[in-house]
Amino acid sequence: MKAEARIASSVLIFWCLLSFGIPLLIFLAGLSDPSGLGASFITRARFLGFPLHYWLIAQGCTIGYILLCKLYCLLWDRRVIPARRTRP
Amino acid sequence: MTKTGWMTCTGVALIVLFSSCGYLFAAAGEEIYQVEPGFKLVPAIIMVTLLCVYIGVGILSRVTETSGYWVAGRGIGKFGNGAAIASDWMSAASFMGVAGLLYLKGWFGLGYIIGWTGGYVLLLCLIATQIRRFGKYTIPEFLGDRYDCHTVRLIAAAVTVIISITYSTAQFKGIGLICGWIFGMNYNASVFFAAGVVCAYMLISGMAGVTRNQQIQYVVLISAFIIPLWILIKKAGGAGILPQLEYGALLSDLLEGKVASGTLGAAEIEKVRQIYLPWGAGSFYQFVALVFTLMVGTAGLPHIMIRFYTVKSEEVARKSVLWGLFFIGLLYWSSPVYAVLGKFWNPLGGQQVADVIILSAPERAGMGIAYIGYLAAGAMAAGLSTVAGLLIAGASAIAHDWYATVFNPAATDRQQLFVGRIFTAALCAVVVVTALNPPALIAQIVAMAFSIAGNTIFPVVVLGIWYSGSNKYGALAGMIWGLGMTLIAMAGWIAGIPAFGANGLLPATSSALLVCPMAFVLNILVSNLMADRISEESADRSDNILRKLHNLPGQVDEAPSGEKLPGTHMSEGFKP
Repeated sequence: MKAEARIASSVLIFWCLLSFGIPLLIFLAGLSDPSGLGASFITRARFLGFPLHYWLIAQGCTIGYILLCKLYCLLWDRRVIPARRTRP
Repeated sequence: MTKTGWMTCTGVALIVLFSSCGYLFAAAGEEIYQVEPGFKLVPAIIMVTLLCVYIGVGILSRVTETSGYWVAGRGIGKFGNGAAIASDWMSAASFMGVAGLLYLKGWFGLGYIIGWTGGYVLLLCLIATQIRRFGKYTIPEFLGDRYDCHTVRLIAAAVTVIISITYSTAQFKGIGLICGWIFGMNYNASVFFAAGVVCAYMLISGMAGVTRNQQIQYVVLISAFIIPLWILIKKAGGAGILPQLEYGALLSDLLEGKVASGTLGAAEIEKVRQIYLPWGAGSFYQFVALVFTLMVGTAGLPHIMIRFYTVKSEEVARKSVLWGLFFIGLLYWSSPVYAVLGKFWNPLGGQQVADVIILSAPERAGMGIAYIGYLAAGAMAAGLSTVAGLLIAGASAIAHDWYATVFNPAATDRQQLFVGRIFTAALCAVVVVTALNPPALIAQIVAMAFSIAGNTIFPVVVLGIWYSGSNKYGALAGMIWGLGMTLIAMAGWIAGIPAFGANGLLPATSSALLVCPMAFVLNILVSNLMADRISEESADRSDNILRKLHNLPGQVDEAPSGEKLPGTHMSEGFKP
């Protein structure tokens, strides 16, 4: 159970960073915009043709979530299942 | 019928359908398409064919046991359950509403996408495996057994029913639009028609038929949604290879005022910039509150959680979340493409443009009347699959958790199955009555369902799994707080009180950021304060459930139907 809890908490830290860290970064970067709309170097930067702030939320986060799910399944297969097999 | 037989039948049906689509598409020509309501023969044939497939699948999947009716005999694989999760999830609102929302709200609307997808990570890490290990039929059953308390069970059952009714009601706006568009039916007739179709296959086959239909419905809805994008992006000047990446350049051009009709004036560019810059359509607090509510709401929706009871093992439960999220991602990576293309062609359109942004796509792409029918069938599939999943969850909460567990525990399997069908039909009737007088807009109703699930179900399920000290008193305090505050916020929103409106401190549709953590705190505090009131027998029963959930040694329950490995690695006690 400890291995399960450790995997879940590790993945949830990344989930938290993705879900709230990125919007917070966009918010902090945009504080200097006098119009209050949040324009910043993140909104001016381009990635794959997208404004970076748009891509990060529209695709970056969701791709990140899928990778986190994959990571969770991989960690489970590598750490939890072998631990169960080695039980006395 | 064998699995191979199933796949063959489904495959043949779809091939026949796609072939007829291609033929009709060629025959229909471009000048016939239209979006006004009224009977349209070719789309109607496509729609009726698919509805017959759903009912046929229901008949072929008919069940004679309660485990077949409620959890599909626990025989679903990871791809199948992933597709069913996605189909259960992707409602008429997701299919038709999200692109319109993104068209109107721009960047801020993306909060719906990360909220609705990020919740699956919570579901996977905190709930899916353990729920499968519990291995029974419903979420109220899990809560009732874990907290050894019928009141907790019945509150959870009531919340499940409330969510089923509100969320199902929301589907009928989209379904009504589609039926009016294809068959020329009015809204009321559409509600009866769609409810009749869902009931027809659900009553015969229960979860077994619902799941198989959801797999077919996923293929229909995702293909109908994505295919027009290739043509549309090419028309907008893209290469037509991967629309989900190509629209980025269009969006960047849009922010500089370049649209299909030329270049926008300074005032118009400012309007477009406003919705695509982060805080033009809402504040940081509103964004985070929305995202958090949708995430915990997603992870707390009973009709999604019960999908984990239907799978073969806990490993399949985990992997089906991964596949479900990928299948959902396909739709949510595509919705913003429609929104940005909509802006490209109509940069300053309002609600009217947003409402038909998906339905008018085949017309703009010049795909002909047959494809319009197929797209409508996709939207219908999205609505029907969600309604079916919700009704099964709601009916199981009444029939299994109230009738078979509290009211008549001695009921035979045959009686339980009969009562299950009666309550499924009864719940369907209630949904029809509610849908005939829907209380608000699709997205708002659905978002209220997320607040209820996130504030009431999510905290009690997570603490029930991960905190051994949580007991029935804490559970009741947390659930009553969560449900009460959600209902107060809803009432305040309807009454027009600013604090509960979109710009308030506790927006009704995004209330979980404040209410949900408080529900956790209350549950823990009250559990600790009341710990000495829990009898030893009750504590032992809860302890036994926890051992089952975490595969700990010493459980003395009946054998779970999922993966169970005897273990002895934990030496410490696990008493609440």
